[in-house]
Amino acid sequence: MSKHLFANEKVMKQYLGALLTEEPLQEEELAPVAKLLEQVQSVDEVVTDIEAEAVAPGLEVKTRIVDASETIDVVEEPQDIVELQAKNLEITENNTIIKEATETVNQSVSAREAYGEDEFQALFFEVAGLTLAVPLKSLGGIHQLGEINQLFGKPKWFKGVMLNREEKLNVVDTARWVMPEKFTAELEERLDYQYLITLGDSPWGLLAESLVNNITLQPDDVKWRTSDSKRPWLAGVIKKKMCALIDVDNLNRLLEQGLDSREQ
Amino acid sequence: MSQDRLLSADKNADSNDEVLQWVTYKLEDETYGINVMQVQEVLRYTEIAPVPGAPSYVLGIINLRGNVVTVIDTRARFGLMSAEVTDNSRIVIIEAEKQVIGILVDSVAEVVYLRSSEIDSAPNIGTEESAKFIQGVSNREGELLILVDLNKLLNDDEWDEVSHI
Repeated sequence: MSKHLFANEKVMKQYLGALLTEEPLQEEELAPVAKLLEQVQSVDEVVTDIEAEAVAPGLEVKTRIVDASETIDVVEEPQDIVELQAKNLEITENNTIIKEATETVNQSVSAREAYGEDEFQALFFEVAGLTLAVPLKSLGGIHQLGEINQLFGKPKWFKGVMLNREEKLNVVDTARWVMPEKFTAELEERLDYQYLITLGDSPWGLLAESLVNNITLQPDDVKWRTSDSKRPWLAGVIKKKMCALIDVDNLNRLLEQGLDSREQ
Repeated sequence: MSQDRLLSADKNADSNDEVLQWVTYKLEDETYGINVMQVQEVLRYTEIAPVPGAPSYVLGIINLRGNVVTVIDTRARFGLMSAEVTDNSRIVIIEAEKQVIGILVDSVAEVVYLRSSEIDSAPNIGTEESAKFIQGVSNREGELLILVDLNKLLNDDEWDEVSHI
């Protein structure tokens, strides 16, 4: 784990705290961000581990990280691997305050319809110390970051267009889009984007510094956002992991409209 | 559908897929294209005489065989940082909105042929005025070509202002 992620831990705490404090606070849940980040595997380790799983007898690969010329393969994975992966990310100490509101009846309809009925898998990735998750079935692909062609006159969070075979992928500076209020020149300098995570069938992709893991989640693992949330791009917050689950459809819609996370 | 009708449909499809030529030039690290029909000539850099009181997007004027041609600062227009003139710098003389102007570019690359079907629209985002200059983008041999709509390089008032310099 790179040191700068720890340096950005404060940013993540502030960000996640802000996400959750717009609603009534009735329960405090402490989450060990440092521990979580400490246990996160590096990208290479993730790739190695997944490749190892692929050749292990009796095991099937859940998610294979591929280069820009390939796409993601998603097949069934034995539950024990999921549990092992989840265990690696187990919360064991409390050092970050996260405030969770009581369960809201009026939950995000689109996110609920898409992911709320059965268990689903989500890919976790990191940007500037912030962990984000995207449901695998809404994932378009993961691409090694290549050359980005800048287009003038576009918002700063729009980094440009990356060519991938015949595709033209619109590259979003995730840190600048998600937390523009925290985005400083210092943070920008530290950012080390490695991957582009494309969203569904759209040409839009989020930049990621590292890929963490993919985990099977139950609907109850997520504190779903309310339908009148100020952040429609946020499907909810994954309680144990204390990270944001992205509502891909809504995020795509906002990106198509050229809006950042503050402008919806 | 009969074979004749199929052939006819293919022919119509081909005729709709118009081939256009684009002059490509470089600005910073990106490659831009402008419609060859709007390009009159490409000049080596020649001294540009500044015009007192001219708008910021006007670099100045040059004398082109007795005609005064206004040169637009393309970098400034596209919101890019200014750069030193080099041996590769060129002034592209273009015609747009019934006016002849020059645009200063870092270098001119080549003339390429593109089918209409090879041109995609750029993401329609951004409120900056310069966003509307981009007519489309095309993936050409693994390189992104940004196609510029010269007619929108200036708005009506600015075209009018340039005509009176």
